[in-house]
Amino acid sequence: MSGPLPPPAGVTGSSEEDYAARGHHHRHEAAAADMPGVARTFRDAGYHLEHLTCLDERGDEEVGAFTLAYQFNRPGGADRHLVSVRLDGGRPAVSIAAVFPGADWYEREVWDMHGVPVEGHPDLKRILMPEEYSGHPLRKDFVDEDPLRHQLSGVVVEEETDEEEQP
Amino acid sequence: MTVSPSPTMELVPDEADRETYYLNMGPQHPSTHGVLRLRLHLEGERILACEPVIGYGHRAHEKMAENRDYLQFLPNTSRIDYLSGMIYNLGYCQAVERAMQIEVPERAEYIRVIAGELNRISSHLLWMGTYLLDLGGLTPFLYAFTDREKILDLLDYVTGSRLTYCYGRFGGVTMDVDDVFLRNVSDFCGYFEDRLEEYHKLVTRNVIFRHRTRGVGVMGEELGLDYGVTGPCLRAAGIARDVRKDEPYGIYDRLEFEVPTGANGDCFDRHMVRMAEMEQCLRLIEQALRGIPEGPVQAPKVPKRIRPPAGDHYFACESARGHFGIYIRSDGTDIPVRMKMRTPSFANVSTMPAVLPGTMLADTVAILGSVDVVIPEIDR
Repeated sequence: MSGPLPPPAGVTGSSEEDYAARGHHHRHEAAAADMPGVARTFRDAGYHLEHLTCLDERGDEEVGAFTLAYQFNRPGGADRHLVSVRLDGGRPAVSIAAVFPGADWYEREVWDMHGVPVEGHPDLKRILMPEEYSGHPLRKDFVDEDPLRHQLSGVVVEEETDEEEQP
Repeated sequence: MTVSPSPTMELVPDEADRETYYLNMGPQHPSTHGVLRLRLHLEGERILACEPVIGYGHRAHEKMAENRDYLQFLPNTSRIDYLSGMIYNLGYCQAVERAMQIEVPERAEYIRVIAGELNRISSHLLWMGTYLLDLGGLTPFLYAFTDREKILDLLDYVTGSRLTYCYGRFGGVTMDVDDVFLRNVSDFCGYFEDRLEEYHKLVTRNVIFRHRTRGVGVMGEELGLDYGVTGPCLRAAGIARDVRKDEPYGIYDRLEFEVPTGANGDCFDRHMVRMAEMEQCLRLIEQALRGIPEGPVQAPKVPKRIRPPAGDHYFACESARGHFGIYIRSDGTDIPVRMKMRTPSFANVSTMPAVLPGTMLADTVAILGSVDVVIPEIDR
């Protein structure tokens, strides 16, 4: 296996992660528009896309936007890179399906579940929910308006002291 | 009927005679093993394009994870893939254990290997039986299910469930195993070694089976990298990639086993890889049986409130179908901000639009079956 990959062009704020505690080796920040280039760098170095997903952090004071998380790894020696992309100001994500065809479905899932549009996607449509469905279920402010379905929101967790241990 | 796709076979040149049509395979179709729909564009019996339509088994596990605490989510995990639920259940436990830095007692680690590998064999057995059913061979199904039932009985004995186990706990397993179980597992290993040879006689050396699977549905190395294919499908293409070797979890780094690979990446190689994997499972179980120490099966000091430190956490394990990963974003509270399940079948089945065009309709069943898809695992 080749040596460690230098931080790919286009990423900002790379840092080493504690694999034993976190499961990631490296963490990077990148802008949405730079993602195809970043993905290309990983692809050329023999990495593949493990998955990509979206987080609704609009309610988070520090972030206040949707964030995308991309994970790249290579066969053989595990070397997992997490690339975090903050979509400030409601900007859309940019598709990397031209680099990794496997990203196609993950990006459709991001659109379906979080309602984040993906620019440059070959065929952006719902993947898990029915086509006629309205709403994006994994948004934090999602309310299931169908009274027949089980209401998922409103779980209350009681506060308890932390120091108690199992017998 | 042996029809192998070959690059030299061109489409019908006479445009006037060309007639294409769409065909829905599924969602209710016996050989999609659940509710998967393939929208096929056909010319005669040749596939021009394929679009898998998924989501029929969507149960919003990821949304559920955001609405309950870590322990409450535990029973969900074995429902993601109900054929190797133990591996998913234990994988989730290990994900939380890594995030919380909980030490697991030795005996529990050994039990996890035994239970997980038994589950892997049962999953591969079910695959082999139903795959042969898809191809029209009824007999192997009866053999495979007889043996699978033996494994389910063994796991039922310790976990209390047949398929949807909830055996893992953060810091160990729920219940200890006894000598009866260990002896029965040992007996099963000896018995199953001979049965594997029988399976090779019954299936692998069957001339019809070979004709229907050799050179059919080739998923090469390049495709694997493009789509993030993992598990037996990737290994059949010759890449020895296995999470248990690449980033060993539990005690896998102390056990000896090989990662079987194929050469051509066709349906036949995927069958051979799974057969060889069952042998390796036996090896792992036998080592675990020899090495299992006495002691507790639960970590003595597990925090009552499971609150992983704020930030991103990831844990990967090797399920019967490939790389199963759990991505957790925690904000330091009881409830995860986001829990993403990276399931192997999702990536594996997303290759179908690239693999199926050019093949014959009759081979669709052979190719799709050989990928070993579990629909609820794709849809989550």
